[in-house]
Amino acid sequence: MDSLDYIDSYFKGELDQSEMTVFEGKIINDPAFAEAVASYLSIQQVAKEQAEEDKKKKFRELYAQRKTVNTKNTVRKLWPSLVVAALVAGIIFGLYVFVQPVSAKQLADRYIREQLQSLPVTMGARDSMQTAINLYNQEKLTEALKSFQRIIESDPGNFQAIQNAGLTSLRLQHYDRALEYFKQMETHKELYTNPSLIYQALTLMKRNDKGDAEKAKQLLQQITKENLEGKEVAGKWLEKL
Amino acid sequence: MAIGGSNNNSDQEIIEQLKQQGIDKIKSEEQLFNRYVYFIREGMSKHALSEDDAFDAYSDTILSAIEKISNGTFEGRSSLKTYLYQIFHNKCVDLLRKKTTNKQSVHRTESITDKFMHMSDAAKSIVQQLVEKSDWDLLRQKLNELEDKCRKLLLMWADNYADKEISVALVYKSADVVKTSRLRCLDKLRQLYKTT
Repeated sequence: MDSLDYIDSYFKGELDQSEMTVFEGKIINDPAFAEAVASYLSIQQVAKEQAEEDKKKKFRELYAQRKTVNTKNTVRKLWPSLVVAALVAGIIFGLYVFVQPVSAKQLADRYIREQLQSLPVTMGARDSMQTAINLYNQEKLTEALKSFQRIIESDPGNFQAIQNAGLTSLRLQHYDRALEYFKQMETHKELYTNPSLIYQALTLMKRNDKGDAEKAKQLLQQITKENLEGKEVAGKWLEKL
Repeated sequence: MAIGGSNNNSDQEIIEQLKQQGIDKIKSEEQLFNRYVYFIREGMSKHALSEDDAFDAYSDTILSAIEKISNGTFEGRSSLKTYLYQIFHNKCVDLLRKKTTNKQSVHRTESITDKFMHMSDAAKSIVQQLVEKSDWDLLRQKLNELEDKCRKLLLMWADNYADKEISVALVYKSADVVKTSRLRCLDKLRQLYKTT
């Protein structure tokens, strides 16, 4: 340590001329001291290189951030063209869907893929429901299901928790459990809108066991006939089944 | 859009902040990087470099300029943009000519030689020979194995920050405490390196 202090003083220019001469003489006459000086300089050099490396890493992050922002700005500038492109793509996709025969399972898959990848969150809310929804939206479905179940345990009449537990079970391909939750929703007659039947139909279409398609069709017909929640979707599916 | 802080400072303000070596230096380094980042595109279009190579050339340009501005070598005879572009252009050409193979070792020797410019030839020659024997990869590995605060302290010291500035940035009681800790970290790294 003492020799390091001495070496440090030399390279910081804290020694006067005569002390510097003594220092340099020590390098010539004392191999261990010369090695300590070399070691001090080598460490300083390697630390300098590492500092530059760290800065380059930081620059790379800044550059990546700029690129992201620029991409967003480009999208903003190009949005009219993108809208037209999306419309054209939509028409082509629609034609493709229209002319292709579609099975109940395919319809269910498409609906799940397009509509059930995320659940709506309430901005700013930080309660257990939002935490569970966040887990769902992060695709941590098993954990999300456990969280929804905990909410149901403490509040068995919580309609949103039951519905979300059903949707999570459906995403996890636990069809029987999903049907149980969706049937449980049916008991909430007090609600103005209740998608219980359309979700049951969806689950049956997705499960696709023997007789499921027929049962799903009956539910869809009931939805359209009784003007229940999900009537439009049910109508479209019935046209294709 | 500015990333990582205001980008409204003029070139002169950035130069002044870099010269002052204060804690604002880090912010001004990032401002400098952001200001002329479009050079990367020019490196790609004018020199036909890949984006990665153009980025390397640009970030090396900024690092080199920071050093020159900090140590007063940049005299401001040309505008900062012209100065940077000249360095950048040379680095792009170097990359194209594939001159960079041994660049690190050449740069390293030059950089260390600067440290003992005023040393007598006999002493300089001894130290130089010993330095050249260093196992740089091992030393770097051991540096990165140090506890975070020690590592940061040594990096700031090597980046020419004064002990007083380090005491502010890394929350030490005083410059004297920084010095003691710095020498302790140096010794620790030296021992780690020696015992391997």
